[in-house]
Amino acid sequence: MPRASVVLADADERDLTKLDEYRAVGGYGALRSALALEPEQIIAELTGANLRGRGGAGFPMGRKASLIAKDSPKPTYLVVNADESEPGAFKDREIMLRTPHRLIEGCLITAHAIGSTSVFVYIRGEYLTEFEVLRTALEEVRQADLLGGVTIVLHRGAGAYICGEETALLDSLEGKRGLPRPRPPFPPVTGLYASPTQINNVQTIATVPKILELGSKEFAKLGVKTSPGTAVFSLSGNVVNPGNYELELGTPLRELIYDIGGGIPNGRAIKAIIPGGSSVPVLTPDQLDTPLDYNSIQAAGSFFGSAAVMVIDDRCCMVQLALRAAQFYMHESCGKCTPCREGTRWLVQLLEKIEDGRATHSDLDLLLSVCDRILGKSLCALGDFAVYPVSSYMAKFRDEFEAHVEQGGCPFAGESSIEGIVAPVELHERKSLSGSVDG
Amino acid sequence: MADRQIQSVALTIDGREVEVPKGLGLVEAAAVAGIEIPVFCYEPRLGPPVGACRMCLCEIEGTPKLQTACTLTAQDGMAIRTAQTSEKAAQGQDATLEFILVNHPLDCPVCDKGGECPLQDLTFRYGPGATRMTFPKRTFEKPIPISPAIALDRERCILCYRCTRFSESVSEDGQLVARNRGARTVIATFEDEPYRGRFSGNVIELCPVGALTSTQYRFEARPWEIQNVPSICGLCPVGCNITASTREGKVKRVLSRNHPEIDEGWLCDKGRFAFTHLHARDRITDPLRRVRRRGLSAISWDGALEEAEGMLRKARGRIVTALSGSETIEQAYGLAKLLRQGLGAHSAVLPEETNDALDRFRLPLSALREAELIVIVGDDPVAERAPVVDLWLRAARRAGAEVVSLGVTGTVQRPAGTAAETCRELAGPGSELGGRLRAADRAIVIWSGPGGRGGTLLAGLAGALGLDGKKSSGAFYLPATPNGRGVGEAWAAASDEEEANPEPIGLLVVSGDEAAADPGVRALAERAESVLATTMFQSLAVGWADLVLPGTSYLERDGTYRNLEGRLQRLRRTVIPPAPDELAWTAKLAERFGVALSPHPSLVFEELSAKIYRGVGLGEIGERAPLPAAAAPATAPDLSADPARAVAAPGMRLLTYRALFSGAAVERVPELQFQRPAREAELSSEDAGRLGVTDGDVIDVRSNGTSVRLATRINRALHAGVVRVAVEHARGLESRVQLEKPSGEVLR
Repeated sequence: MPRASVVLADADERDLTKLDEYRAVGGYGALRSALALEPEQIIAELTGANLRGRGGAGFPMGRKASLIAKDSPKPTYLVVNADESEPGAFKDREIMLRTPHRLIEGCLITAHAIGSTSVFVYIRGEYLTEFEVLRTALEEVRQADLLGGVTIVLHRGAGAYICGEETALLDSLEGKRGLPRPRPPFPPVTGLYASPTQINNVQTIATVPKILELGSKEFAKLGVKTSPGTAVFSLSGNVVNPGNYELELGTPLRELIYDIGGGIPNGRAIKAIIPGGSSVPVLTPDQLDTPLDYNSIQAAGSFFGSAAVMVIDDRCCMVQLALRAAQFYMHESCGKCTPCREGTRWLVQLLEKIEDGRATHSDLDLLLSVCDRILGKSLCALGDFAVYPVSSYMAKFRDEFEAHVEQGGCPFAGESSIEGIVAPVELHERKSLSGSVDG
Repeated sequence: MADRQIQSVALTIDGREVEVPKGLGLVEAAAVAGIEIPVFCYEPRLGPPVGACRMCLCEIEGTPKLQTACTLTAQDGMAIRTAQTSEKAAQGQDATLEFILVNHPLDCPVCDKGGECPLQDLTFRYGPGATRMTFPKRTFEKPIPISPAIALDRERCILCYRCTRFSESVSEDGQLVARNRGARTVIATFEDEPYRGRFSGNVIELCPVGALTSTQYRFEARPWEIQNVPSICGLCPVGCNITASTREGKVKRVLSRNHPEIDEGWLCDKGRFAFTHLHARDRITDPLRRVRRRGLSAISWDGALEEAEGMLRKARGRIVTALSGSETIEQAYGLAKLLRQGLGAHSAVLPEETNDALDRFRLPLSALREAELIVIVGDDPVAERAPVVDLWLRAARRAGAEVVSLGVTGTVQRPAGTAAETCRELAGPGSELGGRLRAADRAIVIWSGPGGRGGTLLAGLAGALGLDGKKSSGAFYLPATPNGRGVGEAWAAASDEEEANPEPIGLLVVSGDEAAADPGVRALAERAESVLATTMFQSLAVGWADLVLPGTSYLERDGTYRNLEGRLQRLRRTVIPPAPDELAWTAKLAERFGVALSPHPSLVFEELSAKIYRGVGLGEIGERAPLPAAAAPATAPDLSADPARAVAAPGMRLLTYRALFSGAAVERVPELQFQRPAREAELSSEDAGRLGVTDGDVIDVRSNGTSVRLATRINRALHAGVVRVAVEHARGLESRVQLEKPSGEVLR
C-alpha cells in the first residue's frame, strides 16, 4: 500500500507551521466551506467518513458528536486531547510540530459542528516546543481573523499520564487533581464544568479538514472499510528507521517494519511486536502479516491503541520489559481506585522477584491471578493497561518467565537490553516531570 | 418540590423483583430488596459517588464489564446480579478486598476501630481467610497529628477519599487533600497545617477504617466495653443528636446520631470534643462555702441545704435569679417553682429574649437545602451561633439556592446593628430582594445576630412577605443559648405573678456556668447581699459566691431542651454526675418551703407539659424528636422601630461576637485550644487603609479607661466603621472604642 498523506499532507514539501504556506496548499478552505454548512451536515460527513478516534479507543467521531446533549442550557465545549503520554507514541507531537494549522482548522470545524465557541487543547506538559509552535500558529490565526468568535485555549498539563484519560483530563483542566470520573454520566452529556463536551485526539481533529476537503466518500476510499483513512504510525524499538509514518489503515505490519522501517538492525531476529503503545498485548513474529487497522489487530488479540508500533528483537528479556511497563503504570496510577493503585504495586513486586531469580512457579500463577484481579475492575482503563503487557508476555513467553525461576536469575543477564525499546527505569525516574514523588 | 411526581421503576436484583423510585441508587435499591451491596467509599451525604473503592462491583445485564453499583441509579427493567449470585461479581469483590488488604496493617487488636470497623466486618463476611501477599507492606510515619484532636495513620488508610470529600464538598474548607499519586497517595492537610475547622471531627466518623482517630479516644476503650447512650448536644441552639460512648461511668467520646431534619449526621467540633470538660481539674463535686475573701471550702450536703435554706429565708423574697439558658426545661421549672411559688421571688435575669412569634413559620432545618432563596439578616456569623446551620446553608448553595446575607460581613454589607432596619426595608414595597422573597416558592429568612427581640422582628418580616402561606417557606431565629426558649417558658409557667425588682437585692441565685461567667450577672452580684451559685467549675465561683452548689453538664442530665426550630428534644443522662444534680437538690429545698416538686425529670416534664406543651409525652418526643406543627403564636410580630439608637459618637463601633470555640467547656479542653479565637481586632480594608495599619499590627482598643491590646486583622468582607473582636477578648470595652498604637498615638 502506498504512503498516504492526510494529516501530514504537504508537510514534507513546505513549512506548514506558517499560515501563508498552509493557505497556499488550500489551508482553511475546508473551514470556509464548513461554515457554510449546517452543523448536522458536518456531523453527517464525519459519520459518513466513519472516522474512528485515533486516541486509542477507536470510537467513531461522528457518532460521538451526535451524542452531544442538545437541550442543555449550558455551553458546549470541545476538548482536544494532546496529552500524548503512552510509551512508544509520538504521533501527535509530529502533527502539532509540523501541521499545527491543520489541527487548529480541525478544531474550528468541529466546534462549528457541535455548536461550541470554546475549545481547550490539553497539551502534555513535556511538549514545550509543540506548545510554542501551536501558540505561534494560533496567534497567526487570531491575527488573520479566522477564529470567527471561537476561543481556543492551550492548556499545558503537569506531567501525569492519567490526564490523557479523558475524564481525568477534564478534572485537570478544571483545576482539580487529575482523577478519572465514573461513567455515566458521559462527557457528551456532563463533561467539562458539567457541560456537554466533545473530546477528541489530536490526530482525529487534524483529519477533519481533509474529510471536508475530500468529501466523506472520497475519504472512505482510503484505508479499509471498517477503518477508513490514515494513521500516523510511530515506529520505534529495534528497527533500522524509527520514526513517524503516515499510512493508510490496513497496511500490513510487515510492510511497516521491513519495507518502511528497514527491518531489524544487525540482522537480528524479531521476537515480538507491540502494535499500539506499551499498554496493548504483544504480537509475535507469526502475526507480521496482520493488517494495521482496528478490527484486524483486535482479531489478532491486541489493540490498535495509539498506533505506536514497538519492535522487539531477540536480545530482549520479556520479564524485564514487563517489569519496566509495570513500573511505568505503577508510577502513573492515579491512586483513586483500589485495584489499579494496589495491584500495579503488587505486579511490580512480583516481577522484581521473578527478574531477580527469587521467584517460584507459584509466583508465576500469582502474577497471572493478580493480573486477572485488576483486569476489568478498575475505574478507568489504566488498570487494564497495566495488565495487558504483563499478562500477554506471560501468555506468549511463559518459558522465559519459567527460565527465570528455574535458573534462579535472568537468562539474558549481561546481554539483555530494553534500551531502544523503552527508557530504563532510572532514566524515567530522573527525568520525571510529575512533580513530587516522595512519599 | 413536594409536588414533584415520583416515578417508580421495576428492576431485578439477584432475581428478586423490586419497585423503587426512579433514580434511586442501586445500593439503596438492593437494600430495598433485602440484599447487601457492601461499600467503603460510597456515602451519599458526601455528594456524587466516586466509584473509587470498587467494593460494590456488580454485573448489570447488557453491560459486559462489571459496574460499580454506587455510581448507578435504578432504571426500569434493569437486571442486576450482585456478588451473592454472580460468580463474576463475586470475583470482583474478592479482588477488591484482597487489594485493600495487601497493604493494610494487621493491627486490629490495637486499633481503635477494631470491633466497629467496616473493613474488619466486610473482611469477616466476604474476605479471604489468608493472604497471598509476601512482600513488605507499605509503611509510613505514624500516627501523624493532623490537628490536636485528630491523628492520621496512613498505613491503615484505604484511600476511600471520604475525608477529603467531606472537606471539599460538605464543610467546604478544602483543608484535607490527597497528596502524591498511585500507591504513594496519602491523605494530608494542605501544606501540613493543622486541620482547623468547625467540623473536622466528622472525618473520624466517616473513616471506614482506623486511619483517622480521635486523639481523645485513642486507646481509651474497645467497642465491646462501651455503652452508647443516645442524647442531644447541649452546647448550641441547634441541638444536634448525639451518642455518648461511655465506659466505666465516663464519657469516652461523643458521636453524631443522624437526625435527618436537624443535623444529617454532622456534628461540630465543639459538640464532639468538648465533653472532656466533665473531668476538668476545677470541677466542683461538693458544695462549697466561701471562707475569707477568695477561699472556698467543701461542706456536707446537709450543711449546704441548711445554709441555702437560711439564705433564701433571710432574703425574704428580695431574690433575683440569673439563668443560663443551658438548664433543662425541668431544671428551670423546678427552680422557678421553688423560688416563685415557695418564696414569691419572681425576679429573674433570663439569658435572652425568646418568644413564640416565629412558630407560624416553623420548618425543619433540612428545609434549607430545598430552598431557592435564603436571606440572612444580622451581624453574627451563622457558623459561630449555630454551626450546623452553616452546613445546611452550604448544602443549599450547592443545590442551587441563592443565599444572601445582609449584615456587617454579609454578601450585601450593612452597617453594624441595622438588622431591624434591614427587615423593615425588605418588608417594604420598594425592596427588590423582598419582592423576590415574596415571589419565590421556597423562601427562608434567618436572623443571626444580637437583638431581634426573640424573633418578633423576623416574624414581622416573614409575615409581611407572606411566608406562612407557602409550604416550604419559613423563618429561623438563631438564639444565643442552647435552651433559652425552654428556660424562659418554664420560668413563666411556674407563676402568673408579675415580676418585681427588689432593691436592695437580698440574694442573687446564679444558675449555671454561662450566667456565672456573665459580666452583667457579676455586676448584679456587687449589689447583692449574698450570692448562691450553681456552677460546674470552681474558678467561675471563686471570690464572689457565698454558697456554691455543684452544677452538672448536659451530658449528665435527663431532661428536655427546645431547639431553635422549636423542637422539644430529650437529653439523657449518659453518665452519673459526681454530685446530685440540680433538680435533686432543688426538690429537697422545695420540700423545706412546702413546694411539691418531684426530683424526677420525667414527672416534672409531665406536669409542665400539661401546662404549656399540650400534654405531649416523653414517648412522643422519643430518640428522634418530631417537629411540632407550625402554630399560631401568642406573641405579636413586630416591625416597629427600635428605641432611638445612640447618636454617632467619636471613635469606631465595637462589634463583639461569641465564637463557637469559647465558653467554660471549651476553655477546659486541651484539644480545642488551637481553635479558640485569636486575640485579633478585625478591621475593614477601608478603615485599615485610612488608619495606616496592616495585618498583624499591634493596636490598643480603648474605651472609657479600659484598653485591650490586639493584633490587627484586615477582613475584606467587613463593613467600614466597625472593629470586630471576639467577646472574650473585648472584656470591659464599651460599644464606642478608640484605636491607638502601642506608642499611645491615637489612630483616626
